[in-house]
Amino acid sequence: MHRFLVLLASVLLAAPAWAQTVTFGASVQVTGPVANTGRYYKDAYEFAVDKINAAGGVKIGTEQRKIALKILDNQSDVNLSVRQYVQLLAQDKVNFLLGPFASNFVLADSSIAEKSRVPMVQGGGASDQIYSRGYRYIFGTLPAASDYFGSTIEAMTKLTPRPQTVALLYADDAFDVSVAKGTRGALERAGLKTVIDARYSTNASDFSALLSRIKSGKIDAVLVAGHETEVLNFIRQAKSLDVSPKLYSFTVGVPSADFRQALGADANGASGMSAWLPTAALKDRWFGDAEAFARAWKAKFGYEPDYHAASGVATVEALVNAIEAAGSIDAQKVRDTLAKSSFDSVYGHVAFNDKGQISMPQTMIQIQNDKVVPIFAAGRFINKLDYPLGPWGDR
Amino acid sequence: MVLLLQVLVSGVLLGGLYALMALGLALVWGVLNIVNLSHGALIMLGAYATWFLYTGAHIDPFAALPIAAASLFALGYIIQRGILNLVIRGPMFNTLLITFGIEVILTYLAQLWFSADFRTINPSYAGSNHALGGLTVPYVQALAFAIDSVLTTAMWMFLLRTRTGRGIRAASQNLVAARLYGVDPKRIYALTFGLGAALAGVAGGLYGTVSQINPYIGGPLTAKSFVIAIIGGLDNPLGVIAGGLFLGVVESLTALYVGPTYRDVASFGMLVLILIARPGGLLGRTA
Repeated sequence: MHRFLVLLASVLLAAPAWAQTVTFGASVQVTGPVANTGRYYKDAYEFAVDKINAAGGVKIGTEQRKIALKILDNQSDVNLSVRQYVQLLAQDKVNFLLGPFASNFVLADSSIAEKSRVPMVQGGGASDQIYSRGYRYIFGTLPAASDYFGSTIEAMTKLTPRPQTVALLYADDAFDVSVAKGTRGALERAGLKTVIDARYSTNASDFSALLSRIKSGKIDAVLVAGHETEVLNFIRQAKSLDVSPKLYSFTVGVPSADFRQALGADANGASGMSAWLPTAALKDRWFGDAEAFARAWKAKFGYEPDYHAASGVATVEALVNAIEAAGSIDAQKVRDTLAKSSFDSVYGHVAFNDKGQISMPQTMIQIQNDKVVPIFAAGRFINKLDYPLGPWGDR
Repeated sequence: MVLLLQVLVSGVLLGGLYALMALGLALVWGVLNIVNLSHGALIMLGAYATWFLYTGAHIDPFAALPIAAASLFALGYIIQRGILNLVIRGPMFNTLLITFGIEVILTYLAQLWFSADFRTINPSYAGSNHALGGLTVPYVQALAFAIDSVLTTAMWMFLLRTRTGRGIRAASQNLVAARLYGVDPKRIYALTFGLGAALAGVAGGLYGTVSQINPYIGGPLTAKSFVIAIIGGLDNPLGVIAGGLFLGVVESLTALYVGPTYRDVASFGMLVLILIARPGGLLGRTA
């Protein structure tokens, strides 16, 4: 009660200062089936805004303004998130929009930004579909879904023995369909033979039929584009059915701490990709560098950040930089400076192509001894890939 | 050929787990005429209970199952006695709404208390298997299947042979006559709902041992249990086993021959066909 009164008093006292703030609004999956990844965005927005405000806020002309944040919980419901973005603009009068998690959400929500001509910078949707509609007010910090397996496939061509057969499995949503489309072409160009190309329903929990096909076809490499729950089930069932392809790689899960924790030693050997690794080489205006950022994040939230977290922070920084460059909070002016963004951040270098999407290479990663190890990037191996993976009994 | 057999084996084992999930729902539905929409949430709680006992108290998940079942029994008993009993004579729509509300509350409490992190019950033997002439039989799934068969048989025996079990059946068949013979409906109903919850608890523990746990697994599991209960019929527990196995095999074969995206088309398509052809369920009496 006492704390509540103090909070209330501080809010009331601070009220006159509200006029001086710039407000960012977002609808995020705080609860619901996607909350597990959605929380990265809520945490990232709050973390970045707190840090930027502590350093004085955003400089508009000669005036320093604080950033206010309005986050709504869309309960992992796309329709609700669309209504919430309408509410954020119409009722809460936020100045700029930050994105939700996941491509299917961004696909729907970006239409609100476009219609209202308010820029949305989002770090949660990678599907190529988002950028194929000629929208001018959507900017994204996740690299194209179609290229998620790019580094993995390049690495595969340099492996000995070279994988002969590939299975490509993907969930039936906007992001994973984009991944599959890009991957299919890349596999063909690399001269790798795709033997199984199967789409499955989002939230599928039983993979025994697909795994049995992989086993009986003696497939060398398995690429899965899906969601974390599916990947968890896939790996657990692969073990229980004794299916051990020489290499398997997943679009999600591998970089995330709670995924590795859930699987324990069974996570070892799983490959994936990340556009971001917390290294000291990535310098940032507010956080120093990515290594310090990751430490501060872990200390504050109690879990390790992955690329979703860094991508979310980058969206806030992109908006702040664009507002400062525009010297105004005029939506049109900020859109134009956003389009010309070019800055270094904890996440990497942020610049958008003419469609509004960032371009970044993926680093192939693998879990070895319960840790994420960078394996392959920019055409060369950084560390040794555990390949070919042995049968489950020997691991 | 090996591929087909392997997929059939997987389908049967999956069906066993399905049947166990649906058993509690079918029992409550058959006796209390309540379609318990919170059934999946109870499965989720059973999974968390087993997970906590395993990771916190280092109790083997299979040894933890009875404890999870007992806790869920208590919870189920309280839900029926404290909440559902108040509306049990009302229209079915009321109990649907209330159990839906309970589902929402349990799910969000689970996220508040346990976070949305993914959990798995992963003892060293989870994932180990037995190779049988080209076929792979996972131990945990096989054990789950055995537990399911034992529990179903035990429940059938309980309903047929014991006084309480007969009381439960009597209450569902003719409440007035049952009361005349000294059956206390409040107690019998709470007992039945408690049993249904306990079965959900066991199913949850096993589910967490083969799959993954998060606060939101309940909804789809309720839907699956619902389909199985209808396919199997509510007359006796064996029908639920038949329904579970049937669905497990149909889904697996669909995934193999038609495509993994068509699993739900197949399972809900079966539901429609069964409702048309055999409204009482596979082993049920046709009206």
